[in-house]
Amino acid sequence: MTDQQETQPPTTLPAHLRNPVTRAMVRVQNRIVRAAREHLTAQGFTELRPPIIGPVTDPGGRGSKQIDIDFYGHRYKLMTSAILYKQASLLAFDKIFCVAPNVRLEPLETANTSRHLVEFHQLDVEIAGASRNDAMNVAQDIVATAAAAVVADLEDELAVLGRDPQAFAALLKEDAPFDRMTHADAVAGLSRLGHPQNPDAEIDWEGEALLSVRADRPFFITDYPKGSRGFYDRENPERPGVLTNFDLIAPEGYGELISGSEREHDYARIVARMRETGENPAKYAWYLDMVRGGIPASSGFGIGLERLTRYIAGLDAVWQATAFPKTPGVVSA
Amino acid sequence: MTASLTAAGFAEDDVRERARTGAAAVFPPHGEYGHRLFGARGDRTAASPGPLDPLDALRLVPPVLMPHRLEKLVELAREPHYGDVDLTTDIGGFRSTAPVYVSAFGSTQVADSGLGAAASRQAGRLGIPMVIGENIVPTVGYTGAAATADTGSGGILARLRAYESEVPDGVGGIAFQQSTEDADAEVWNLIYSAPSAQNLLATGRLAFELKVGQGAKPGLGGMTVVGTETAARLAEHFTTEDVFGDGKHVLRSSSPGTFTEEILRQQIRFMRNNYPRARVWVKLPPGRDVRTATAVAWEAGADAVTVDGAEGGSGWAPRPFFDHVGLPLAECLRRVRAWEKSGCLLASGRMWEGSRVAKALALGARAAGLGRAALLAVDENPDDGLDRLLACLTLELRLIISALGKYAPAALAPEDVWAPGTAQLDG
Repeated sequence: MTDQQETQPPTTLPAHLRNPVTRAMVRVQNRIVRAAREHLTAQGFTELRPPIIGPVTDPGGRGSKQIDIDFYGHRYKLMTSAILYKQASLLAFDKIFCVAPNVRLEPLETANTSRHLVEFHQLDVEIAGASRNDAMNVAQDIVATAAAAVVADLEDELAVLGRDPQAFAALLKEDAPFDRMTHADAVAGLSRLGHPQNPDAEIDWEGEALLSVRADRPFFITDYPKGSRGFYDRENPERPGVLTNFDLIAPEGYGELISGSEREHDYARIVARMRETGENPAKYAWYLDMVRGGIPASSGFGIGLERLTRYIAGLDAVWQATAFPKTPGVVSA
Repeated sequence: MTASLTAAGFAEDDVRERARTGAAAVFPPHGEYGHRLFGARGDRTAASPGPLDPLDALRLVPPVLMPHRLEKLVELAREPHYGDVDLTTDIGGFRSTAPVYVSAFGSTQVADSGLGAAASRQAGRLGIPMVIGENIVPTVGYTGAAATADTGSGGILARLRAYESEVPDGVGGIAFQQSTEDADAEVWNLIYSAPSAQNLLATGRLAFELKVGQGAKPGLGGMTVVGTETAARLAEHFTTEDVFGDGKHVLRSSSPGTFTEEILRQQIRFMRNNYPRARVWVKLPPGRDVRTATAVAWEAGADAVTVDGAEGGSGWAPRPFFDHVGLPLAECLRRVRAWEKSGCLLASGRMWEGSRVAKALALGARAAGLGRAALLAVDENPDDGLDRLLACLTLELRLIISALGKYAPAALAPEDVWAPGTAQLDG
């Protein structure tokens, strides 16, 4: 986590692919995905293949740009996340998951965060009728199950990666929910550490790293302010301005692994929230038509697969957690 | 049928025009589009005997006894003169050489005819901030490469480069607007990651302006006249209507966007969340609740709030909006009462010379926006027109501010203006 030379991708793709670290990483990642699949399937979840293009996608935030494609004369988007289709999927199944490819043109300022890729995958989960708490429990189980599987089965790969299995001792030993703090607690804590943090916004990269590096196992941050997230994170009806959502933060400075929430599902609420996030409801026609017809209340989350891989494999930068890295602003293979 | 009726004292000619041309008569002749700048009349003339613009009707009233001049005398150890007025002003987080900035002119054909780039160059050279208007990307394109005869070559990056090529270090800045339709094109996301914007971003000279409305047509979105071929290309993103009936031109309208207190507050917070390295500006129409909207914007963290008086505008607007819709700038400033305590308030609407700017500053504005004046100046001389206009304006400001016994624009206050018929400004 300290080698500055590792913060930028290798000069060539062949060099990256020949690197033993990359081969070990791929095996770790495959084990993570297999563990998650087995765990979720055993819990009654159905896996769907997610779409790659659509007329509209997750508007995201923090300055990341979508990729437009020409779809027979219409502007379509590559998926930045599967959120809209995850909600739609609940019309068919109550508990779904998918491993979804996403593309986001992240702002250049993320090039040095060690944890932003332009092309990445999310392990997406959505559960009809579930509370935020239900979703957080599922998220914790996936992370713990994946880490346990890698530690149990891939001792040699962890050795190649230089990852001490003892890093997961606290995660695997304690049979208790991950610690939780609210966004307001996180802001106050950062203030005590001398780090100014806008209370109305996302925890910034530096602030998140400060909190992460002090932990020895993953922890949740809940209740983000409304102005920090997209329209689909549900606003707490009892606490206007506060979202019923969460992030899971990895320890040791690895930072955010997961974002999730209870979802807005009421048509009028969604339209108002779209305006609050500066969106043009007209471009969400298919989605709003569907919502108007009724969709289930739900909770869900997305796990950054490369981020989780980076954490479990103990890699310096997230680009090392993909065979074909694309980092913000860097023209590469 | 031959007209035989007459109706002296009634708007007979206007009624007959409407009877002849239908909905086209709601707008100025579209043949003037691209050649004429529109806005409220303001001046009293024989042809237009309406009331004098309320801001113009105010008088600047120097005192006899000047304690601030004494302070300056002590500081300088000599009698101060107008050259001692320091016009340097913080405008929405930017350092400006004068309390003025260039207002937005967006996809309007006038602004796009090369004048936009000329204004950008000169504003940069002068070290004053500039706002780049909405709807350029969807209509003109990002780089200008998508330009057609209809839309000229004023792409958003061309204007940015023109400004940046001339701006001195440490002063100036650019604010980019984004309309609802621009949001589909993600203009702010594009700019935030554009390699050519990184220098301004790194030096704190880049802002995003949320356009809630504008002075020329409060309650409506942007309107321009476009050719029918362009209209076909834009139809997926804009409302287009054939109001002119000539088969060649149509009216293109943007949606004004829906705002409530909560929508305004959250959009500003979301901008701050998404673009932590950019300043956040907000432009308001001259609405009756402008005080509430201004307060919400500042509370949510806006670095500047612009109030565009009903006198403002360079683009196309329905005729009733020129003289009958929206609060005059003076009334907006009275309602906002920014002289009491405030964030940065910017004012625009018929600004072109020093006295009107000084009156706006006295009523609480931090700076004034030049819209039509900037376009006319670069039309007069694309190389130096705006320089020269600003030379007049800044000299006038120095003369006026020093005459009021003050030596900085921020020192102006309501005490410096007087409304005829009142003992004192009622604010």
